[in-house]
Amino acid sequence: MFDNSSLGLYLIAGAVILFVLGQSLFFLIKAWKHGKEMGIDKKKLKNAVTSSALFTIPSALSVLATVIALAPALGLVIPWVRLSVIGNITYETVAATEAIKAFGITTGITEAITDPEVYAGVAWVMTIGICFSLVILPFVAKPLHKKFLNASKKAESEVTEESTSTENTKETDTPKKKRSFAGFMDYVTPALFIGLIGAFVANSILGAGKADVALDGAGVLSVLTLVTSVIVSVVLEIVSKKFKLTWLEPFVMPIGMIAGMVVAVVAFNVLPESVALLEWRG
Amino acid sequence: MSKKNKQQKSYYDRVHGWGRISTLSALCVLLMFPMAICLYLGVFPRAELVFKGLLQVIPLYWTVAVVEVVFYTPMLGAGGTYLSFVTGNIVNLKLPCAISAMENAKVKATSEEGDVISTIAIATSAIVTTAVLAVGVIAFAPFLDTFTNSPLLMPAFKQVIPALFGALGAGYFVTHWKISFAPILFMLLILVFVPTIGASTLIFPGIIASVLFAFVMYKVGFLDKKEKRQK
Repeated sequence: MFDNSSLGLYLIAGAVILFVLGQSLFFLIKAWKHGKEMGIDKKKLKNAVTSSALFTIPSALSVLATVIALAPALGLVIPWVRLSVIGNITYETVAATEAIKAFGITTGITEAITDPEVYAGVAWVMTIGICFSLVILPFVAKPLHKKFLNASKKAESEVTEESTSTENTKETDTPKKKRSFAGFMDYVTPALFIGLIGAFVANSILGAGKADVALDGAGVLSVLTLVTSVIVSVVLEIVSKKFKLTWLEPFVMPIGMIAGMVVAVVAFNVLPESVALLEWRG
Repeated sequence: MSKKNKQQKSYYDRVHGWGRISTLSALCVLLMFPMAICLYLGVFPRAELVFKGLLQVIPLYWTVAVVEVVFYTPMLGAGGTYLSFVTGNIVNLKLPCAISAMENAKVKATSEEGDVISTIAIATSAIVTTAVLAVGVIAFAPFLDTFTNSPLLMPAFKQVIPALFGALGAGYFVTHWKISFAPILFMLLILVFVPTIGASTLIFPGIIASVLFAFVMYKVGFLDKKEKRQK
């Protein structure tokens, strides 16, 4: 039996986390300075910080919940590091379970690992399993990013050319629009975002969860939460625009999100259990 | 080359330089973590068992890593990409924050302004997450279980995803409604037949469909005028 929460392990974890914190601070300061150099309104920069911080807290608490979910088997140190560096909620639980299984332990993540060899082995599997993006990123991020930027710039210049040529034509003329691939680049980023957001929205409406886990699939609670956060966000957006409440803008999405979660709590505690727990796809 | 172009080139080049160095450093630090555990505990796990575990994890997660780098890099911007891949939780934290901040600031993801705003949002999100986790782990470890599993608050934590993407999607779908409805219908259709696919897998067909539908709509002229009037 070994102590999976000894001071030494916490210090190792602390060193890793300090590194990540340092990197984030470095990029924050550099971006902030460059933003000021570019003449971006300081208010815009501040709003980005405020809205991101508010938007992050509820999700960060759910990440914390994953750390806690893994704690019975691994203690707090490994999950803490794994979810602070590269990790994500879905990956870590699966990786930990598979790693524990490989060492012949059948209880999964529910029981404490008492063998230090297994503990260290799980740390290796979880780390190597997730690190591949960091291996390829230094080689592919720059060319990928540049390609995308070049295509966007090309699109912008074509749009400018098009608008200049249409300005020279009479309004009654209906020139056949040239719809080049470059011009389409304007829609690529919104389309990428919609694909991403839509996947989670659709899954909250029709996705199935695990048969033995409550409230992990689409059902009464997920749809109520989704609809509430949509409505509250839209209403606040309209209010902030109509009454020119610019201070409200960075709070619109965080408030919408928290409103959805509050309705989930209220509905769960007020509705009959059979309704509150209903998941249509299991 | 104009002054702005020069400045832009040097900013992006500098960001990629910092990004490459910090990513490789992060990789070294990350790999030193299990090594430090082994040295501290004085044990080295048997290689065959570690490989056995890795065999279950690598085929899926290394493939996902490649796909994620290709798909998310254009959305995150230069600085945001390096930061997000090091700090993780991209889909549920970093991307939503970046999208929301760029929407608020009314800047394009492909512009230099967008890159700055996205980097600030992602860095803030990473710092806040690290702080929440650190405080949670160090100060509240004994009570955390009771807090997150309390019958009163448990539903809130179970519904973080619908709440997050509902709030984020609201503004986005209203602004870009024309290119939103077809991919969402397509994803709902997928879920009718494969309800257990999971959102993190659904993202990839969803993104491909979304771009393809938008391309078709653009080609047939469905996106002309009105979409531009909204801007």
